[in-house]
Amino acid sequence: MSELPFYQASGDEIDLFEHAHRNRLPVLIKGPTGAGKTRFVAYMAAKLGLPLHTVACHDDLTAADLVGRHLIGDGETYWSDGPLTRAVREGGICYLDEVVEARKDTTVVIHPLADHRRTLPIDRNGEVLQAPDDFMLVVSYNPGYQNFLKGMKPSTRQRFLALRFDFPDAAREESILVGETRCDAFVAKRLVDLGRSLRALKDVDLEEVASTRLLIYAALLIRDGMDPVVACRAALIEALTDDREVAAALEEVVLATFGK
Amino acid sequence: MEEWIGARWDRWVTQAARRDHPHAAVELKDIEKTLGVFFRALGGDAGLRVVAAADCAHGARRRLLQRIAGIGMRTAHAALDREILRLPPRLAVLPTPDLNRDLYLWLAALAARTDPERSRSPQHWIAVNQQATLRALQTHPGLLARYRRLVLALLNERIAPDRLPEDEAAQERAIRQALLVPGSVAALPAPKRGKVRTVQPVPLWLMPAPIAPDAAARAPTPNEREGAPSQEQQAPNKRYQAERVEMPSHDSPMILPFRAESLLSWAEFVKVNRATDDDPNPDAGRAAISLDRLMLAGDDDTGQQAASKVRLDLDLPPAAEDDLALGPGILLPEWDWRRQRLKPDYCRVQPMAARQAEPCPLPERLRRSAQRLKSQFAALAPARRWLKGQPDGIEPDIDACVRIAADRRAGRSLAGTSAYLDRRPADRDLACLVLADLSLSTDAHANDEQRVIDVIRDSLMLFGDALTATGDRFAFYGFSSLRRSFVRFHEIKPFDRPFDAMTRGRIAALKPGYYTRLGAAVRRTVQLLEPQPSPRRLLLVLSDGKPHDTDLYEGRYGIEDTRHALAEARNAGIKPFFVTIDREAAAYLPHMCGPNGFVIMRKPEELLTRLPQLYAQLTDR
Repeated sequence: MSELPFYQASGDEIDLFEHAHRNRLPVLIKGPTGAGKTRFVAYMAAKLGLPLHTVACHDDLTAADLVGRHLIGDGETYWSDGPLTRAVREGGICYLDEVVEARKDTTVVIHPLADHRRTLPIDRNGEVLQAPDDFMLVVSYNPGYQNFLKGMKPSTRQRFLALRFDFPDAAREESILVGETRCDAFVAKRLVDLGRSLRALKDVDLEEVASTRLLIYAALLIRDGMDPVVACRAALIEALTDDREVAAALEEVVLATFGK
Repeated sequence: MEEWIGARWDRWVTQAARRDHPHAAVELKDIEKTLGVFFRALGGDAGLRVVAAADCAHGARRRLLQRIAGIGMRTAHAALDREILRLPPRLAVLPTPDLNRDLYLWLAALAARTDPERSRSPQHWIAVNQQATLRALQTHPGLLARYRRLVLALLNERIAPDRLPEDEAAQERAIRQALLVPGSVAALPAPKRGKVRTVQPVPLWLMPAPIAPDAAARAPTPNEREGAPSQEQQAPNKRYQAERVEMPSHDSPMILPFRAESLLSWAEFVKVNRATDDDPNPDAGRAAISLDRLMLAGDDDTGQQAASKVRLDLDLPPAAEDDLALGPGILLPEWDWRRQRLKPDYCRVQPMAARQAEPCPLPERLRRSAQRLKSQFAALAPARRWLKGQPDGIEPDIDACVRIAADRRAGRSLAGTSAYLDRRPADRDLACLVLADLSLSTDAHANDEQRVIDVIRDSLMLFGDALTATGDRFAFYGFSSLRRSFVRFHEIKPFDRPFDAMTRGRIAALKPGYYTRLGAAVRRTVQLLEPQPSPRRLLLVLSDGKPHDTDLYEGRYGIEDTRHALAEARNAGIKPFFVTIDREAAAYLPHMCGPNGFVIMRKPEELLTRLPQLYAQLTDR
């Protein structure tokens, strides 16, 4: 197993995840983009020594994509496991990112896996797989893009333990920036202040706020010797808005933070 | 000749005496939006509006030439209260445009760090400003260089202390000290006794705000009608320093309770019996511009109020003439932002329909546009799309064929047979409700021929025709209000009726009147849209101004209530979108509607062309 990825806990989520794993319970992680959901799962997989199977769900993802399908080979056909089936066979964590984006028929395979049955029926070849003890199902979604068509059904939600992720507080976010990018503590503080300023604009001038991930991008550029204002323009401002006037105002905020 | 020389002299001396830098001027309206975002990002209250401040006399010493030219007495101060951030409409105090722009940004940053309650106190303004400066520089250290530049530039523009009398010089030195080293001056040295001169204005600071007219504390005055802008309302739309004063009462009608010789200026508040004086004073607007403070008094409980009550009752048509009330009213809550809670069953929304609406064909002048729009909208309507995995269709579905073939070979003989692609009209399943503002302000003229209400009527007629061509489900409603107990909600076209001559008749019968209680109307439309089966539901609000009613529903209260109602709509899965022709709207719409939730039309006539465009954009995936 390679070394642990960098992850800074914000509460008791590591503990809870370990308990869930011991008790073979599935976990739902919700939170805004760039708040560390995926990193957390990668960290936990490494910590528990489990292989991680990640599936980024999209709106054309069907149950067959998760479970597997018959492929035509040279004069014969063979069965190819989907990522979910592979995870169930091999054990490990299967992480369905942005699960609400997937098609409705995926719930058919998720439901029996997520409750006490822990089975995966594969109707195409009649198999019913029993999940091993170290198999764990983790799903995530972003309540921010709450799409009323695609909200999670209560029958699905209630099969999972739920964890809420949010942007960390200032001190923790600074240490994440330093830990992740090895940037100057002073730069980290400025960037975090800037991020918090921009988060105040949510739902008024901006649809999405500056995530920790974007701050990390900016920190990487600055550590690499880029001018902070230019780095923030590329990593934050243009990533957050297309409106020229809002961008001009955000640039002023950057200047007010880093100076001119 | 004399006049000519006078005019020349005036122009010359004014030019020579001007201390500002007109070539370097920056207008507030050019950077308003940037300032708003900047202010909010630095921690300013998102509910505050940025408005232009009115000029007021500062009473400070002027230079000799300025005194000769008779200018420089008045200036617009930046000020902050709980609802409004006032900024000068134009800044030209500093010698370059960059510096003046920086000054605007600095004022926004300072305001974001100022507690509006404390900044109102005239005794502490110097201390409050220094503290706010320190806070702003501490949280946003990048401002420091800019602040230094501004201070140095400003000190150059001020009258130096050694050219002032002793006490004023001491004050000026204190201000310079406070600007250079914020936090170092606790209070201004007192001026000599009996002296009225104040210190020179400090454009870098917020001046103590006047007492805000407190919307909640004020008794509703029924005859403050929302009217079509008449002459006096065309004065520059600035915020005056206003204060509420008690209506002086006097019991002995024969005695004038003031000394006549004190009746010299417009600023004095005098109760004059003007019950018979119906015409608005044409000079009132000009007088208001020259005033520093407006004093507003509520009516007392003597005869005058009765008079206004009668007028109000005349305003409401008798029940037999008025539009038809449909059923009993519907009780709806209202959001009180001060208490942060919903007041249940607070408003009564009364559905109504026009009483005498004659069926009406499409007016001749709109025929052409209607034809054009119809063909445009027909293109919007049901695009056909490919459906995969159909049991029958016009082309094979290769994906499905491969999958089925593979399954069969693998021995799954029961594999499906749906292996065709078919083209079907995509179900563009969409419900759209248009809510039109019918308050009295729509009676104002949009251009030489049409009033705003005419433009709204025309756009509804065209829009209805065009929507029929798309096959989308839609409904039209209009609203106005007369306090919370009577929100008039006009039914024009419900979802389940076709758009026909009868509907057009109802549109033609729309009359402007009353006020804009927007929150209640939005809540009612949410109730109407919610049961619609379509997965996509759109609420389009056509409005011409801020939420406003005669009770406490105005200013921030109305905006916050509407914002809350719009959030409720979003939670119900409805996409609200605001179309407004209020030019001042940029100040409050981002807070009220959120990003991408509104569009501002510069001219009402644009509605006709832009509305269909907008609809196409909003409903196109």
